[in-house]
Amino acid sequence: MTLSTMLSSMGEGMLRTCAIFFLTILFSMPLGMVIMFLRRSRFRLVREITKLYIAIMRGTPLMLQLLMWYFGPYYLFGMSIRGYRFPAIIIGFSMNYAAYFAEIYRGGIETIPKGQYEAAEVLGYSKAQTFFKIILPQVMKAILPSVTNEIITLVKDTSLAFTLAYNEMFSIAKQIAASQTSFVPFIIAGVFYFIANYAVAFVMERIEKAFDYYK
Amino acid sequence: MKKKLALLTAALMITASVAGCGSSGSTAPTASTAASTAASTAAESTAAESTAAASTAETASAASYVFLEEDLGVESYAIGFRVGDEELAETVSGAVQALVLNGTYDKIGEKYPDIKDYLCLTADDIDASTLPEEGSGDPNYTFKHGFDLDYPPYSYLQDDGSVGGFDVELCQAVCEYLGWGYESVPFNWDAKDMELNAKSCDCIWSGFTKEGREDDYTWGITYSNNTQGILVPADSDIKTLADLSGKIVGVQTATSAYDMLEDSKKDLADTFAELKVYETYTIAFNDLKAGAIDAIAIDMTAGSFLISGAN
Repeated sequence: MTLSTMLSSMGEGMLRTCAIFFLTILFSMPLGMVIMFLRRSRFRLVREITKLYIAIMRGTPLMLQLLMWYFGPYYLFGMSIRGYRFPAIIIGFSMNYAAYFAEIYRGGIETIPKGQYEAAEVLGYSKAQTFFKIILPQVMKAILPSVTNEIITLVKDTSLAFTLAYNEMFSIAKQIAASQTSFVPFIIAGVFYFIANYAVAFVMERIEKAFDYYK
Repeated sequence: MKKKLALLTAALMITASVAGCGSSGSTAPTASTAASTAASTAAESTAAESTAAASTAETASAASYVFLEEDLGVESYAIGFRVGDEELAETVSGAVQALVLNGTYDKIGEKYPDIKDYLCLTADDIDASTLPEEGSGDPNYTFKHGFDLDYPPYSYLQDDGSVGGFDVELCQAVCEYLGWGYESVPFNWDAKDMELNAKSCDCIWSGFTKEGREDDYTWGITYSNNTQGILVPADSDIKTLADLSGKIVGVQTATSAYDMLEDSKKDLADTFAELKVYETYTIAFNDLKAGAIDAIAIDMTAGSFLISGAN
C-alpha cells in the first residue's frame, strides 16, 4: 500500500471522525443545559432521577454504553437495527457528554453569589431575565476552559466508535496496520489527532478572547 | 445600555457556541489538508527509517521469524450461521462447492499464497447433483457478510484501500453465483455474536474456527484448515514447546489460539512466565520485534502473513 492510499483511506476515516465530533458537540452541549436545569430543579424527584442519570453516564465506560445503545433496541424490544449504527453512536456520545457538560455548567452557575440574584430581584428583574442577562454571561466565560478540556477529550474518544465497527480514523489505522504489518498508520493517526486538537484549542482560545468582557 | 449589551452578548454566546462548531467545521478541511501534508512528511521519514532498520536487521539474520516444528493443533475454518438457519447454511455451502467444481475456489486461493496450502476442498469429494443451480437464488435477497477487517489474509484492507481477502472474495463469488446481492458488514470481533444475533449480519465468515464452538452456531461447509503454531525469532533459543517454560508469549484476544491456551493447552500456558493478551496481532508482533515478548501463539496463515510483511 502506498503512502498516499494510506493517507486517503485515513482521511476518509477522519471525515467520519469529524462527523461524530461535530454532531456530538451539536447535541450534547444544549442537552447538557437541559440536564443541568433538571439537576437544579426544585422538585426533589426530578433532581434525584437526574443525579442517577449523571451517575450512570459518568460511572460506566462509554464503550459499554455504545454497545447498549446499539444492541439495546434489538435485545429489549426485538426491533430491527439495520442502518441504526451511526445514530446509535451519536446518541451514545451525546448522552454521555451531555452529563459531563451539565456538571460543568452547574459548577459555573453555582459560583455566582446569591447576592446577585437578590440584587436583580430588587431591581425588578424576572427570573428568566436574571438568568439570561446577568448569570449566563458570567457563567459562559468562567466555564470555557473546562469545556475546552471536555471537547479535546471528545476528539480522542471518537476512536471508541470502533466498538460498533464504525470505520472512523483509528479503526482504519488499525486495519491498515494489520494488513501492512506496519506501525506507520498509528503515527499518522497520532498526527491527525494532534492537529485536530490543536485546531480545537485554537478556536476555543478565539472564543475566550471574544468573551473578554467585564474587565 | 449595559443591560442591552449584556442581553446582546448572551444571545451572541448562544449563537457563538453553535457557530463555534460551525466555524471550527469550516476550518476542518484546511486542518485536514495541513494534517495530511504534515503526516506525509512525518510518515515519509519514518518509512525511510524503517526501511533502513529493516535492511540492517536483514543483514543480521536472513530469515527473521520462524514457526516451531511442534504445533498446538489443527483446526478447521467454516462459515458460522445463526442457530436454526439450516437452509441458508446449506445453500451457501452448496454454492461454495459449486465454486470448487468450476475452479473459482482455487483461482481465488492462488491470489493468497499464505492460504493456498491450507485449502481443503477438492472437486473429487463433491457430489455435483445436489448443488444449487447457478443464478437460482432470489435476486432481491442481499446476503450480509459479517467479518473482521483486522484478520489478514482472510479479510483485510487491500493495498488500494478496498475491502478484500480470501473469505471476502469467496463470499462475493458465492453471492454472484446464486444471483444474490452482497453486503459487507465489517464488525468488531468481540461483538461478533451480538451482531449475528441482532441480525445486522447473516453469517460470521472470517477465518472462523469451528472447534469448540460446534453447538453455538449452525455451521456451513469447512473450506480451509489451519494449524496453530508458535512464532519465534529465528535466532531464538526456543526450539520446542517445552522451551517456552518461563517465557512471555503473546496472543490476540478472542482467537482460537487464545481459546486453546486457555482450555485444551492450559497445561502448556501454565508453564509460561506470562500469557500476554493483545487487541491485535500487529501490536503483539511489534512487541516480538522489540524483544518485549519471546513468542507469539498464532495460526500458520496469519503468522506467515506477518512474517512475509516483516521480511
